[in-house]
Amino acid sequence: MSQPSLTLPTPGQQAGRNRRLLEILGAAAIAATFIYLVLTQPADIAGGLGSVSALVAMGGFLLGAVLLIVGVLPTLPTSTVVLIPVALVLNIVLGQLMGTSGLPFYLDSIGTVLIAVLAGPAAGAATGALSSIVWSLINPTVLPFAAGAALIGFLAGTAARYGLFRRFYFAPVAGFLTGIVAGVVSAPIAAFVFGGTSGAGTGAIVSAFRAMGDTLLAAITKQALISDPMDKAIVFTIAAVLVYALPRRTTLQFPFVRRYHVLAGKEPAKRNA
Amino acid sequence: MAPRLNPLTTLTAAAAVLVITTAAASWVVSLTVAAGAVLLAGVTGAARRVFLAAGVILAPFWLSLLVMHGLFFPEGRSVLASWGPARVTTEGLGFAVDMGLRTSAFVLVLLLFSFSVRVPELVAALATLRLPPQFGYVLASTLMLAPIIAARLEKVRQAQESRGLVVGKGVGNRLGAVRLQMVPLVLGLVHDAGIRAQALDARGFRRTGPRTTYTQVRDSPAQRGFRIVAVLLAAAAVAVRIAASLSRGQA
Repeated sequence: MSQPSLTLPTPGQQAGRNRRLLEILGAAAIAATFIYLVLTQPADIAGGLGSVSALVAMGGFLLGAVLLIVGVLPTLPTSTVVLIPVALVLNIVLGQLMGTSGLPFYLDSIGTVLIAVLAGPAAGAATGALSSIVWSLINPTVLPFAAGAALIGFLAGTAARYGLFRRFYFAPVAGFLTGIVAGVVSAPIAAFVFGGTSGAGTGAIVSAFRAMGDTLLAAITKQALISDPMDKAIVFTIAAVLVYALPRRTTLQFPFVRRYHVLAGKEPAKRNA
Repeated sequence: MAPRLNPLTTLTAAAAVLVITTAAASWVVSLTVAAGAVLLAGVTGAARRVFLAAGVILAPFWLSLLVMHGLFFPEGRSVLASWGPARVTTEGLGFAVDMGLRTSAFVLVLLLFSFSVRVPELVAALATLRLPPQFGYVLASTLMLAPIIAARLEKVRQAQESRGLVVGKGVGNRLGAVRLQMVPLVLGLVHDAGIRAQALDARGFRRTGPRTTYTQVRDSPAQRGFRIVAVLLAAAAVAVRIAASLSRGQA
């Protein structure tokens, strides 16, 4: 690593430990919220608005997302921090571009997955959470989904870490699995906070399951299991296409890509070895 | 003109109103809050933008809710009309209206906040909260980059069209067109980001410790007091709601 600074004190071990604690607390808050929602849901939703569930869903997931951001963000190298705003705009702009192509997917996490592949799971999680928070300034309904977006980034980074982006056909598989997890985690938000989904197509699918007598959470979870894995498989594939379209000189600038040999191709010559 | 409020004050107010609305769980409160937000938007002059943004978000949402719960609500008892598997029930319509109004209040209040806040002031105010400075950078940079990147995408499209890109009807053709626009866009953006990172690093972006800012954010004891009261009120609303649900659960 770099030499100790001679002018200003370097941040000590204590700060690093606090950051790690924040990350763990954030992940724990998200997990605890999800477990609470799944355990308490049957009694709650039939009784009306499910106000406590909505409060817990929003508060717990948002708190977890913010803790993750505060814990992860200061540890990222500047090259990654600078890419995050680009990824956030890409989430929005490429989502809109796909919208004009007339294909029935929302694809609003391309930038997040791109960062996760280039900079790792922690950066991916922070990008996902930040994406929801910043986007909520334009569309407030995405705010409660911050935890789900963080999870997508984290899982994409983990997939990249274990080499799933080295083979082209593994990327959609990793996306499919990520979509299953993300769909299951996001469904309680849609059910308890908003009482449904906002799209016409997804709404029709939920209605179909409701007509068969499912509870709202079950219907929305099943809908998410239909839409999300497909959507994330496409997102992961697009991210893989984009990463491989970048010049190696650019991708190899990222320590994560070099360290875990994320992308296919010959190992770069070690400079310091 | 009245002195501008500290962004943290408006943010706390918006968050507290939302928490209280959710905890209250009554369509009367939701409707009052939504109406209040509309009225405030009118007073502050952000009405047009707030309505436009809220309409785009809320119109499909209401439609989806009314179809979903208005026609299919297995828990509903009092049936108003039915066609085959679809049954219009009072409970279903009530649930749709409850949820719709609560989400409308949520969207309107947050949009009112985001359209009335000045981003540089918000970033400076967030820095006083001991949030990492990178958070403010990401927030401000995203909002500034959005129009630049949109313009860049337009330029990429024009360049590709002048090279003979025609978007045809088939899915493969469309995907090819998307790829021809995406790859140059992302390539350029990642390259730019690399240059920005070097420039920022050279200026001590990663240094910890206190930072100074050019933006002075007004704050006053009254506003500080208001923020504390708003947080306490929101916490009280949550406590009352949880106590009520616990006692109902035991009864």
